Amino acid sequence: MPTAAPRDSVIAVIGDGFGSLLVYATAIYLGFTSDQIAIYGTSDDPVSTYASFAHNLGQTVLRSESESHFLPADWPTFAQLDAWSRHSFAPLFRSIKRRYNPGVAEILAEATTVQRRLGWNGSRVNTRIGWMQREMSPQPHLVLYDEDANLVGRARHVMLALGHGPLNFPPALARAREDAALAPRIVQAYEPKAYAPGGRYIVVGAGIASVNEWANALDAGGQVISLLRNPVPDEQDLNTPRCLFEALGIDIFQGMSFDARIAFLGKILKGTAPRRRGWVDRIQAARADGRFEEYTGEIDSVTEGPLGLRVHLTNAKKEDLGAVDVTGIVCGTGFNKSPLTLPLIRRLVEHYQLPVDGGRLKLRINCGLPGLDMDESRVCAMGLLANNVIPHGDTIAGLKYVGRRFVSDCARAEDLDGRSFFDRVRLQLSLASDTARVIRTVRRTEQFS
Amino acid sequence: MCPTVMGRLETRVATLVLPAILAMVLSLLGGEPGWIVTIGIFLLMGVALDTTLYPRIIKWQPPWLTFVLAVGEFALLFALLKVLKPGHLGYGAPHVIYAAADLKPIALYWISWSLAVTTRIVILPFVSLSWIEDGGEFRVTGWSVSPPMEFVPLIAAPSDDAAPGALLREFSAVHTIPQSAAKEALTSVHRRPA
Repeated sequence: MPTAAPRDSVIAVIGDGFGSLLVYATAIYLGFTSDQIAIYGTSDDPVSTYASFAHNLGQTVLRSESESHFLPADWPTFAQLDAWSRHSFAPLFRSIKRRYNPGVAEILAEATTVQRRLGWNGSRVNTRIGWMQREMSPQPHLVLYDEDANLVGRARHVMLALGHGPLNFPPALARAREDAALAPRIVQAYEPKAYAPGGRYIVVGAGIASVNEWANALDAGGQVISLLRNPVPDEQDLNTPRCLFEALGIDIFQGMSFDARIAFLGKILKGTAPRRRGWVDRIQAARADGRFEEYTGEIDSVTEGPLGLRVHLTNAKKEDLGAVDVTGIVCGTGFNKSPLTLPLIRRLVEHYQLPVDGGRLKLRINCGLPGLDMDESRVCAMGLLANNVIPHGDTIAGLKYVGRRFVSDCARAEDLDGRSFFDRVRLQLSLASDTARVIRTVRRTEQFS
Repeated sequence: MCPTVMGRLETRVATLVLPAILAMVLSLLGGEPGWIVTIGIFLLMGVALDTTLYPRIIKWQPPWLTFVLAVGEFALLFALLKVLKPGHLGYGAPHVIYAAADLKPIALYWISWSLAVTTRIVILPFVSLSWIEDGGEFRVTGWSVSPPMEFVPLIAAPSDDAAPGALLREFSAVHTIPQSAAKEALTSVHRRPA
């Protein structure tokens, strides 16, 4: 059962998704108690948002590798946990070759186990935060209000784990979606959808979401037109180069100026597509059958057509490329990355004059919000908001990276008498054991690579 | 994992603690210094490789490479033991390529390696929560760069109407030379006396 407002806490997490669970689990692991932590959000399940996106996408495995999961410490890795649960060496061999990707079902089972065992929901206040006020007396703290301006709590340290902004559509498609006759045929990859056998679909983009949709449409017996604004993207297993996940890369990244970091992010995150055996085989077969084509260009306008939609295309020079008749359009264009699409951030930007540069919130190098963050009362952001500080900020590994450092800062500020080494080992092993028991009941996910 | 140079060194030392204890016990019990000296040579050789060779050729180290490196280090250590001859007679066979006496250092190496790998995989993530993220270094779990040390661009853009104040002029190396103190120019051309 969620707890009642108003609630005083040492650590407050605004948001109820993956980030909140990772901060919560780390805090418990380091020695905070559940009554010292408050989670603000209306979902009683930290995996529900991700689970619905993954389901709509038809995603079955994570891009993340073995270390990216929800146990607080890094051992056991998820491959080791999987191997132990299923009494199989296969996950270990895959992990040694770096070809192991946790299954969505397994990782969500783990997240659910961890949240239930550690009492995440018992620390949750069932409301959305609409406003946050810095107070300095008697000690520096933050006062939290809901969207109706009711006081819902106070906290010494606050983590903003707000998740992504709204789904993003190219302008021509956003306009077309306002037409009731066209809207049902234009969807985002993350929205629910059903492909018709024999249908012809444009899939916009070439990132992970688009690649999934190619496979989904082809599996349903449809034809796919892959529409790319740019030439073929770089091939990269993860969205961020591997060494940027660790000190070797992060130290260098953080040593750059804000402008240099943004330029670098623009270069490495411009759309990368992993080539995995399952997808490649299906797409090559479909190409041989004439069911898969690739165009480079942009959608200029959409009208009704004989197959459902008539789509007019132009290239980067705005030259006419002609029209295509299709059954539907799927956008793998992700989420709107602007921090200003998040109401709480927009209000904080306006009131506290938080700096926004190049469409990104200019966080301090420790993910703190400039003007609000203090060493003795931290106010941090994680996820996509923290991408300009931690290049993989919106991945599980990135959430873990930021969460660990934030909680460690809180522990130092509070002079926390943390758990002993053996107590931490005991907690981790107990969580791992429970997770293994649950994974045994989950059907094994097929690995693609 | 993408270990830093410091991370390689710190991890190397930390993972050889258990092997060193094992070798020390064996040396004390058997009166054979070869055991502990072998671990010492292993450590020095590892430090040399970690600081000179590995950072140049390995940036991202996949798990399978760990075993490949172990085989390479074994070959190097075996050669060093033949040259340096640690221990008494019966601990290794320095004058032949291989003899039964070599089984002792060989067994010590592979047992030590197994202990080191187990320490690295199982124990170190508990010793330091961010050990993997920190490239194998035992840092306090914190940020790579603290806010006061953040790199910021230097922009020299004084406003047009800005002028140095009196205090700044006083401490400046730029001074107007009083007219009365002006001397003749340093030139060979002089005015002819009238």
